[in-house]
Amino acid sequence: MSDALPLPLQFTWLIPVYGFSGMVLSLPWASGWIKRNGPRPAAYLNLLVTLVAVIHGSLVIRDVFAVGPQHLEFAWFKAADLDLRLGFDLSLTNLAALELVTSMSLICQVYALGYLDKEWSLARFYALIGFFEGAMSGVVLSSNLFLSYFLLEMLTLSTYLLVGFWYAQPLVVTAARDAFLTKRVGDVLLLMGVVALAAWAGSLEFNDLYVWAAEAAKQGLVGPLAGTLLGLGLIAGPMGKCAQFPMHLWLDEAMEGPNPASILRNSVVVTCGAIVLLKLMPVVAPLSPLATDVLLVVGTISALGGALVALAQVDLKRAFSYGTTSYLGLVFIAIGLQQPGIALLLLLAHGLARALQFMGVGSIIATTNCQDLTELGGIGTRMPATLLAFMVGGAGVTALVPLGGFWCFGLMLNVLVPSHPLLAGVFLLTNLLTTANVIRVLRSLFGGAPLPKTRRAPECNWLMALPMVSLTVLVLLVPLIMQRIDPVPGIAAFPTMVGVAVLLSGCAGVLVGCLLPKDEFWSRSRQPVVRVVQDLLAYDFYTPELYRRIIVSPVAAIARFVLWIDRTLVKGLVDGVGRLSLSTAEGLKLTISGQLQSYVLTVIVGILMLLAAFQWFRVA
Amino acid sequence: MLLSGLLLIPFVGSLVLLLWPTGASPQRLRLITIVILLVQLALSLVVVGSFDPAAAGMQLQEHHSWVPGIGLDYALGVDGLSLPLVLINAALTLVAAVITRDIDKRPRIYFAMLLLISGAVNGAFLAENLLLFFLFYELELIPLWLLISVWGGANRAYAATKFLIFTAISGVLILGAFLGLALFTGTVDFNLTPILSERLAMGSQLTLLGALLIGFGIKIPLVPLHNWLPDAHTQASTPVSVLLAGVLLKLGTYGMLRFGLQLFPEAWAKLAPALAIWAAISVLYGSLAAIAQTDMKRMVAYSSVGHMGYVLLAAAADTPVSLLGAVFQMVSHGLISALLFLLVGIVYRKTGTRDLEVLRGLLNPEKGLPFTGSLMIVAVMASAGLPGMAGFISEFLVFRGSINVFPLATLLSMVGSGLTAVYFLLLVNRAFFGRLAITPPSGDAVEDGRLDVQLAPVAPRETFPAIALAAGVVLLGVVPSSLGRISEVATTALAAITALPTGVH
Repeated sequence: MSDALPLPLQFTWLIPVYGFSGMVLSLPWASGWIKRNGPRPAAYLNLLVTLVAVIHGSLVIRDVFAVGPQHLEFAWFKAADLDLRLGFDLSLTNLAALELVTSMSLICQVYALGYLDKEWSLARFYALIGFFEGAMSGVVLSSNLFLSYFLLEMLTLSTYLLVGFWYAQPLVVTAARDAFLTKRVGDVLLLMGVVALAAWAGSLEFNDLYVWAAEAAKQGLVGPLAGTLLGLGLIAGPMGKCAQFPMHLWLDEAMEGPNPASILRNSVVVTCGAIVLLKLMPVVAPLSPLATDVLLVVGTISALGGALVALAQVDLKRAFSYGTTSYLGLVFIAIGLQQPGIALLLLLAHGLARALQFMGVGSIIATTNCQDLTELGGIGTRMPATLLAFMVGGAGVTALVPLGGFWCFGLMLNVLVPSHPLLAGVFLLTNLLTTANVIRVLRSLFGGAPLPKTRRAPECNWLMALPMVSLTVLVLLVPLIMQRIDPVPGIAAFPTMVGVAVLLSGCAGVLVGCLLPKDEFWSRSRQPVVRVVQDLLAYDFYTPELYRRIIVSPVAAIARFVLWIDRTLVKGLVDGVGRLSLSTAEGLKLTISGQLQSYVLTVIVGILMLLAAFQWFRVA
Repeated sequence: MLLSGLLLIPFVGSLVLLLWPTGASPQRLRLITIVILLVQLALSLVVVGSFDPAAAGMQLQEHHSWVPGIGLDYALGVDGLSLPLVLINAALTLVAAVITRDIDKRPRIYFAMLLLISGAVNGAFLAENLLLFFLFYELELIPLWLLISVWGGANRAYAATKFLIFTAISGVLILGAFLGLALFTGTVDFNLTPILSERLAMGSQLTLLGALLIGFGIKIPLVPLHNWLPDAHTQASTPVSVLLAGVLLKLGTYGMLRFGLQLFPEAWAKLAPALAIWAAISVLYGSLAAIAQTDMKRMVAYSSVGHMGYVLLAAAADTPVSLLGAVFQMVSHGLISALLFLLVGIVYRKTGTRDLEVLRGLLNPEKGLPFTGSLMIVAVMASAGLPGMAGFISEFLVFRGSINVFPLATLLSMVGSGLTAVYFLLLVNRAFFGRLAITPPSGDAVEDGRLDVQLAPVAPRETFPAIALAAGVVLLGVVPSSLGRISEVATTALAAITALPTGVH
């Protein structure tokens, strides 16, 4: 790093710090030290630092255009043969992701001002969002597995706190717990991988790791078992972060948290997880073919399973959150097939469009105080901006009209058709199901006659409408952005036939979505087969039950067993020895006669024996 | 003279308290104690200042013959292994004195005992003579026994007796091992000389090391020698728990490193694989037992059992990184467990219970303990090894240093780290989330629906020590080089002892 670098570049490490400083700045209001003027100043301070982060980010991009990609590195901790460093890679891709994170955070914070208008602990919310944003901007910039892990764990913590924001509600309690523990399982597995890599490869810089992994694979430095375990450990962390089967349940439950946080979680947090996986892939791929296969399988199951489960949800937020799982499954397939460019485009298209969908969801929830699809309907004419947001957002995550999703799907399909026709089928089928779901929700919300809860449904307030409409425009512009980011070979680099196939799957989805019966109160089917399928999907393949049976109950049983050992064997033995000595003493007490003669006799015998012993020793 | 000062201040202070004119109020006595401990902390910092981190070996040494006939010398010295522990001792004793607010009987003796413990612990950490170490190791026992059995909870007699018997056995084993060393080598030189054991046959080395391991294993404590700890913690008052978990357990790990690893490198290398497995069992057992607890304090106590297992794992692996990790883990466990006990103490004082079946929703902003709850979240996250706090870097160093040597035991210990998240999250979720309640649900919906619980507010001065500890935890987590700089040379040197070819005899 030379001193000649422009200042914004040299101080890029400040960008994550802005987010964290937002948290610190909010503390006086969040903790109630300052009560006089309400919690709003904390929100404004956070907006300010986030704005600074966005501006700083764009300055850095300008400079990187001028001087080319840069690498910043700082020593953090060095001991013996261990050298932990913090590294930032200022490549255009990373910076684009950074801008996505910071600007989405900014938009969400404005939105939250409207959505959480009457929330008494607004300051705490903004403190957590600041923490969230700081961790995410660090993750996307990081060039170093150690730093990435460090920040991913912070994301886990802040997700836990954000999901648990309304901690007095019973569902929130379990949701926060599950979010933390699921991610933590992934994180601990990832940590095992990180520790192993730190010990084997030395440096944890991604670039050094790539070199090491290629070398290790060539020379067989790592045994097949160790390599496979390492690969599985490394992918487990992102799997948890991206809510992939079987670690997907938390995202559904996390919908109990405030909606502005859900926007971030469904758009940029999952993106962070996927980006870490993207960076890890060149380490995983050479060492462990099995892990790559697992990625593809998990991606496929998540893509199809998530899309199917989404179809059966009557909760507005959940209907879309499963869509996130599904879409990220597609990203996993792209990453597993080593198509990082397409994976990034998929993430960009998804991040913006999904955020828009969730903003629309928030708008409806804020207006109607209801998120049950069976009780919503007929608001198409009353909330035009929201309707537009739903339509554009829905189009953005599917491949129906030529918005972001379409071009990504086309590019991906073009790669898949010759080599993996089955996976191409997965993409098309997922697109079909996702489109069907979007149409189903649209019909349910906006079509039909107004229901009791939607009779008085004005458009949301301007603080929510402004970010929503701006984002709508942005999503419409996504193809242009993508074209700019990825000019070679261009986003339309696929044959017409592929485009037609993608469009056809979208149209089929529309058809299915129109034919699906609308969710209404008591709309369960009378046919037993349909009912079984409906329940299976509505209850998410009974995943909570599976968790309970396979993980929770055994762990609890083992814990109880250990407690039993502790109480009965260990403590029992200790207490038993104590009781034994007491009772022996009680018994011996009775041998004391109180007669002086016998004591004297004992003493004399004792002395004689002692003398005899001394004599014997001396002789010996 | 610096190191003697570290002994003199608390011992003289203890005497001063005992001789203070009658009629001094408990507040006055507490204040005097705090002043004395502040001086001790300041002197400890002076020691840090005059300590040369780049130099290996003992520094600031003091050596006087005391009872030459039996090899007992007054020999003090400090190195990178003991210095952090001396600091922790000064800081946590101060915390213990500060949080002693509602002492109901015999405040004079209470504070005198507190100082006595602090002095004895300093002595044990600084002693360069085996017998001197043993003297201090035993000296700390009686005051602590008094602290539990006089100022403890309802079942204090049982807990205190158990503590006394266990620790006395531990002392006997350690003394036996030290005397055995003299007997087998035929010298009465009890000074800390690493090569002493080389003259011994492997069989006697293993016997002596075994006695030491069990002796220190009781103190650490390792499963299945841990039985005294949960009872002692549950019955002890909050300040005593802070001291016990934060400082006194470290005597065990310190002794294991200093007298086990350093005196018997050959035998240690032989036993290391078994020790690693023992460590993994200890970690998993402690964590699993903690999951099943319903008393907050017992849960924290069992978590101590689990977390001290990491130190044994690191010691068994015996690499430069893992030994540094051991020092980190000792310090971070000291801070974190002290913080946890302190917060549990606040909850107990305000609600009158520590039962996780009963407590609910303590984060409630107006009627509950929101700030205490927030600090609790920080503490449990630190204990679960979240980055940015002391627990993470310690565990990372331990695991990174051990994985090449004992992969399986390390991976199992990492599972234990995951389980820490489980039980502590359950603690926070049960007690702090949900709707505020401090009595068991009566089953009557109307009765249970009432929101008339109003906990007394927690004054800032009550949480101040917790804030200070939390700040320390975060500071160590963000700037680990602060501690690394002090200890690295010593731990590297310690690891080098075993790495040397020792087959000269």
